[in-house]
Amino acid sequence: MDTKNAIRDFITHEMLRHALETPLGDDDQLVESGIIDSLGVMTLLSFLEERYALQISGDDLIPDNFSSISSIASLVEMRRTS
Amino acid sequence: MNFTFTPDQVAMRKTIVDFARQELNPGAAERDRQSLFSRQLWDKCAAMHLLALPFPEQYGGDGFDFVTTVAVYHALGYACKDAGLLHALTAQLICGLQIVLFASDEQKAALLPDLAAGRLIYAQAMTEPGSGSDAFAMHTSAQKTESGYLLNGAKTMISNAPVADRVLLFAVSDSEKKAFGGISCFIVARDAAGFSAGKAMDKLGLRTLTNGELVFSDCQVPASALIGRAGQGAMLFTEAMEWERTLIPACLLGEQERILEESVRYARERRAFGQSIGEFQAVAHKLARMKMNAELGALALYSAAALKDQHKRAALETSTAKLFISESLKQAALDAVQLRGGYGYMTEYEAERELRDSIASTLYSGTSEMQLNLIARLTGV
Ligand SMILES: Cc1cc2nc3c(=O)[nH]c(=O)nc-3n(C[C@H](O)[C@H](O)[C@H](O)COP(=O)(O)OP(=O)(O)OC[C@H]3O[C@@H](n4cnc5c(N)ncnc54)[C@H](O)[C@@H]3O)c2cc1C
Repeated sequence: MDTKNAIRDFITHEMLRHALETPLGDDDQLVESGIIDSLGVMTLLSFLEERYALQISGDDLIPDNFSSISSIASLVEMRRTS
Repeated sequence: MNFTFTPDQVAMRKTIVDFARQELNPGAAERDRQSLFSRQLWDKCAAMHLLALPFPEQYGGDGFDFVTTVAVYHALGYACKDAGLLHALTAQLICGLQIVLFASDEQKAALLPDLAAGRLIYAQAMTEPGSGSDAFAMHTSAQKTESGYLLNGAKTMISNAPVADRVLLFAVSDSEKKAFGGISCFIVARDAAGFSAGKAMDKLGLRTLTNGELVFSDCQVPASALIGRAGQGAMLFTEAMEWERTLIPACLLGEQERILEESVRYARERRAFGQSIGEFQAVAHKLARMKMNAELGALALYSAAALKDQHKRAALETSTAKLFISESLKQAALDAVQLRGGYGYMTEYEAERELRDSIASTLYSGTSEMQLNLIARLTGV
């Protein structure tokens, strides 16, 4: 599964408490719509750090990096290559 | 998996136990009576490097891993009968950890040496008169200005506030975004214009810890006062809570172990109906439960600490440790009063103070109800 789909899958099945009428799009706003909050980010980070064997901390922990599936995937790619 | 302390950790724990018994315990009951925070004892703790343990050596710290720091505070909780002082120390360490994790290198170099040496006292200010558990519903505002930020609002019940030289303040910097992305963290100096601290609030327990109000009235701080990035406050706080919910329970677990030890001794010595009271099953079962909770608390504590040492996410593990250890301590302190009979109720003995001190542990750093909410959510409910 590619990064975006893995993230989508995790958010949809592990973080959301109710089913969505339409699947999450790559650029849907996760923070603004309340799908992700500060604790949600921590949950998501556990998943990302374990699955991709990377560490995300300090400066990377800003809301912009978690605003959409695309931005989360970009962050993962950036940390994987750095 | 290795559940034993290293020889170095054993030696450090012994040194700390001796230090606490000799230096911190004398006069603890009197300080409690007078609600006295002792700067002299704070300085002694600082001289023992208790405020430097987990910080990088380049910033005046000792560079110990987090498990070792937790092991030392666990020993301190066991030996030191001044629970208020311990809370003051842990509040300082939590502020330092946030600086290590999120501040710029310049800020670390400017702030950490004085913090680690205990020269300046720190407080972390989140709670407001209108928002406690619902912490991100705060109203204190940080309005961006040309030269930095203008702070307005009030915080309350803040540990170390009446004696603090520096405050880590959480404020709303973008009211549109509010909770996530709208809160930022600032470092504010005591002498900043427009910043004032109220008197120490009188409390049921932890009376040697000072708690109070902080007021920000058109308090202008420079842009360099921002810790981390603008809007990072909620994440910074959420991360900080994981460290806090490990470090504070380390002290609480130690206290619980001391209560157990003293209760066992009392149950063996006190006699009624021709036998020691420990021979009554009703008393023995209380002690067995205390022992079981202490053992399980230790497992929860060190597994959470080990995760944080590896900089892993541990919201579930740290909340579990905090909830279990604080509730167990409160129960142990109550049982300790009960098994001492009327003597347990008399201020001359220590059980009543331990009970009063224990009650706050299920309130601060997130109430027990909030820990359960969090655990439920992290369990996928
Ligand atoms: C000794 C001590 C030290 C402290 N130090 C600091 C400090 O250094 N910095 C700081 O910022 N704050 C500090 N605090 C404040 C502390 O964090 C708050 O008291 C705590 O978070 C609870 O907030 P509250 O008092 O406003 O209670 P409220 O939030 O008003 O809660 C009242 C009751 O309602 C329950 N409740 C609320 N919401 C829910 C919910 N969703 N589900 C179930 N139950 C709920 C609570 O569990 C509680 O029982 C300290 C408090 C104490 C006692």
